Amino acid sequence: MARIQLENVKKSFGKVQALNGISLDVKDKEFFVLFGPAGAGKTTILNCIAGINLPEEGMVKFNNEIVNLVDPAHRNVAMVFENYALYPQMTVYDNMAAALRSNLYKTDEATIKEKVHVAARMMKMENLLERLPSQLSNGQKQRVAMGRALVRTPNVFLMDEPLAHLDAKLRNAMRTELKEMQANLGSTCIYVTHDFMEAMALGDRIAIINKGEIVQIGSGDEIYYMPCNEFVAQLMGDPQINIIPGTIKEAEGGYVFCFEANGEKLTVSMPEDKELWKKIRETGLKNTDMGLRPQNVKYSFTPEEGYFKTTVYSYESIGNKSVIMAECGEYQLRMIAPNGLKIAIDQDIYVRFEIDHSMFFDPQTKEYVSRYDEETIREFAAEQEVK
Amino acid sequence: MAGLTLKNLYKRYENSGKKKKQQNDFAVKDLNLLCEQGEFIALLGPSGCGKTTTLRMIAGLEDITDGEIYIGERLVNNLHPKDRNIGLAFEDYAMYPPLDVYGNVAFNLRAKGVDKGEIDKRVREIAPLMQIDDILDKMPVKLSGGQKQRVNIARAIIREPELLLMDEPLSHLDGKARQSMRVEIKRLINKIKCTTIYVTHDQLEAMSLADKIAIINFGVLQQFGTPAEVYDDPVNEFVASFIGEPPMNILETTIVKEDGTFFFTFDNSNLKIAVPSRYYSVVSDGFKCKMGVRPMDVLIGGEGSKGTPEEIATFENLGDERRIGVRVGDMLLMLITEDEKRYRSGDIIKLEVREEKTHLFDITTGNRIREQA
Amino acid sequence: MNNGKKRLGYAAQNLLLIVYAIFALFPLVWMVIISLKSDAQVFTTTFAFTPTLANYKEVLLRSDYTSYMIDSLIISGGSVIVSVLVGVPAAYALARYNFHRKEDLAFQILSFKFAPEILVVLPLFMIYQKLGLYDSYLGLIWVYQLISMPLLIWVVRGYFEDISVEIEYAAQVDGYTWYQIFFKMLVPLIKPGLVSAALLAFIFAWNSFTFPLILAGRNIQPITVAITKYLGTDTAHYGQLAVAATVSAVPAMIFALCIQKHLVRGLSFGAVKG
Repeated sequence: MARIQLENVKKSFGKVQALNGISLDVKDKEFFVLFGPAGAGKTTILNCIAGINLPEEGMVKFNNEIVNLVDPAHRNVAMVFENYALYPQMTVYDNMAAALRSNLYKTDEATIKEKVHVAARMMKMENLLERLPSQLSNGQKQRVAMGRALVRTPNVFLMDEPLAHLDAKLRNAMRTELKEMQANLGSTCIYVTHDFMEAMALGDRIAIINKGEIVQIGSGDEIYYMPCNEFVAQLMGDPQINIIPGTIKEAEGGYVFCFEANGEKLTVSMPEDKELWKKIRETGLKNTDMGLRPQNVKYSFTPEEGYFKTTVYSYESIGNKSVIMAECGEYQLRMIAPNGLKIAIDQDIYVRFEIDHSMFFDPQTKEYVSRYDEETIREFAAEQEVK
Repeated sequence: MAGLTLKNLYKRYENSGKKKKQQNDFAVKDLNLLCEQGEFIALLGPSGCGKTTTLRMIAGLEDITDGEIYIGERLVNNLHPKDRNIGLAFEDYAMYPPLDVYGNVAFNLRAKGVDKGEIDKRVREIAPLMQIDDILDKMPVKLSGGQKQRVNIARAIIREPELLLMDEPLSHLDGKARQSMRVEIKRLINKIKCTTIYVTHDQLEAMSLADKIAIINFGVLQQFGTPAEVYDDPVNEFVASFIGEPPMNILETTIVKEDGTFFFTFDNSNLKIAVPSRYYSVVSDGFKCKMGVRPMDVLIGGEGSKGTPEEIATFENLGDERRIGVRVGDMLLMLITEDEKRYRSGDIIKLEVREEKTHLFDITTGNRIREQA
Repeated sequence: MNNGKKRLGYAAQNLLLIVYAIFALFPLVWMVIISLKSDAQVFTTTFAFTPTLANYKEVLLRSDYTSYMIDSLIISGGSVIVSVLVGVPAAYALARYNFHRKEDLAFQILSFKFAPEILVVLPLFMIYQKLGLYDSYLGLIWVYQLISMPLLIWVVRGYFEDISVEIEYAAQVDGYTWYQIFFKMLVPLIKPGLVSAALLAFIFAWNSFTFPLILAGRNIQPITVAITKYLGTDTAHYGQLAVAATVSAVPAMIFALCIQKHLVRGLSFGAVKG
């Protein structure tokens, strides 16, 4: 168990700058998620912590001790590799026992047996112990890879997309299990994923990585409700957040939001929020990108007060609910609907924004400016962290 | 354009060797399917269930062991694939590498000897539809996965087939591209109104694309119906757990009668759910069966709720929604809520179930137990 | 397909195979037949002759045949051992490390096999004379590396490249040192390739003729060179020649049969996809 710190770590492969000044402070016993698109450098960060890659610049610290020059074996980390990296010539049991049989972590066979069986039970694969990796399905391999890490009591568990190759159902079930397991293990864990649901569900804190840099660090709620820019806002959430370009104008002592849909100029009056008003005044925000989560866009199939007309672009299920996309000319609006509605493509639909849930971005820099109920959400997020 | 009829279709692989000496060596067994003209049908099932075999039989790439296939009114059993007038878009993009996109799309027509002007007209017509008009002169190696798939489909529909067959066309694409391509396909098919058979193992794809879904397992058709039908009214446990994500909670239950009311009870759990009265005719005291309920239909009771108090085993905040797991015996009962409240594992919630949304399944066969009319 | 047709197909297939087998094996059969004939009968009979073991007695008991065999064994075996010791690490380096002009180097190693032996053997002869390597085991083993090393490096490199590098990382993280990883994790995985490449290299070395003919001859005589002795300037003992050739082919044949299964699987890469 250890606190893991990275200080301004830089790493390049040839001409490619993989990491560009990464600083992290992962607390002891924290479940820390590195989240970002493919090729962002998440795996390289893990490799730097494990000692597989040597950073050209910066420090890697375990419990305040610099370990840059400690080789992987002596760092006492357990790692789950994305491509499983099982030893093909060994049975599942031997794979899991391999670490405990090395000179460094030598353990007597009786203890090994016990530990392997405990881990196997946890990963629900006791019946697989005698098999060779080539006889396993991808999902089973992934579980073995997890199990191999779990037999140890390392400084930190490093997990690289451990659920990525499972089908949706198994992935969600395993995610739930992992969440339970993490509580029991009580160890530091750094977890790489590109799936936002995994990031949200598992992480005590999440670091958003893009192009070798950290974009934002915070709890799931913080990042979900106050993403630091449009990129993060779009990463967090499925279906993606709606970004609606428009302008904020003063009217009757308050503000209205003006935007276009299918060439039609529309305005929505904005309910008062003192904090937000102040921010708008201070920053002189006029042109803005409004971010609105799909669940905050309401629809109706008959004309209603406050709704504007548009057409259905698509309607599709995403599991326990469905998404309607509505055509708005320059952009498309996503909104949540139940499964099994009778909706024809290109039929009329009426849409209303719940603008009091919206957030605002600078249209040039794409940076976060402010949102409704910022103070409440900040307190709410802080409260979660104290817990 | 034409409909498609499959009548008592069987497929058995010959030469299956010594290994496959099992009784159930039919890849497809007694399959009956009736697709109306212009319908979009998804063949859905886990890998190896026979859905691709079925598609290949329709295409004429696979011999038919028994049964009949009609495209429109034509019996096509003994027709060569090229004479069946079908368009194929398969999972691995088999493009001709030395030809550019235009050449690939035009290939079929050229092979048929259609004259040049006509070919050009058709390609120019279809290109904007598939959004490939700006890549017509590119070579296949330079295309992204989504583009390749678009070309592939363009190639299939340029012959104006009576029937369009697609085999997991999206399986090579990653998350986002897949989602947007899904929408594109849906819109395209809606526009060209071609009868389409679409093979997939992804229930989401089937649910969002198809007019009707044929769910197949072990070569046997389980259910054929609209997405809403298979979601709300599954015929058996397999369909119930295959459709929907997260899957339906299916718990073994013993029915107990108290004061004239039936309740679902569960081993090693104090959870008690009233049995909807419509099932009274089929249940009895001590009746064992399985109860299924979708995670969306399990609710957290508010103040003064009569729900059973239960301890939260897992809590997952997914941003858009929150998933809560409660242990019922050794099973995990999942529920989904969009409520903003954050729980921790160990918290006690009152669990309510939308009783009218529960399904009963036979404990051994897994078949749906329905109320009697 | 009905049964009759199928059976006919099998019959045709087998017939073709038999024709091919006769064609391919005939020289060998002919050689064995000659080895059983007396010198007098070699040119006068074809199949009807009185078999005799006289040639075998002559060659195996009354000449230095065994010492030639031992020479061949030492040189071929020695060169394979050297190739393995040097080639496996080289293959690992070529597979795993990135260095300047790596592919050029790899190609150069392979290119050793391109040049006809006769082309390089004369300058080598001069050099060996000067260095005192002429007619020594060391010299022959050294030059045989041209035959065995490229083959070994190329096959084994392919195997190393097939092993995902994460397996090594995983073993490092599991607490193993590099040497332990190499011998415990990697060697078992490349074994099929290593064994088949080594045996193939052995057979090639065994059959080599030009190098030992010119670079050795007095003290050291591998079997391939020694056979020529039976072609005297005045008389040709075809029977004895045939015996020498037959017996010298035996080790190679035994090896080839032993590793047949291995060879096909071992030389077609991708056996270790985990």
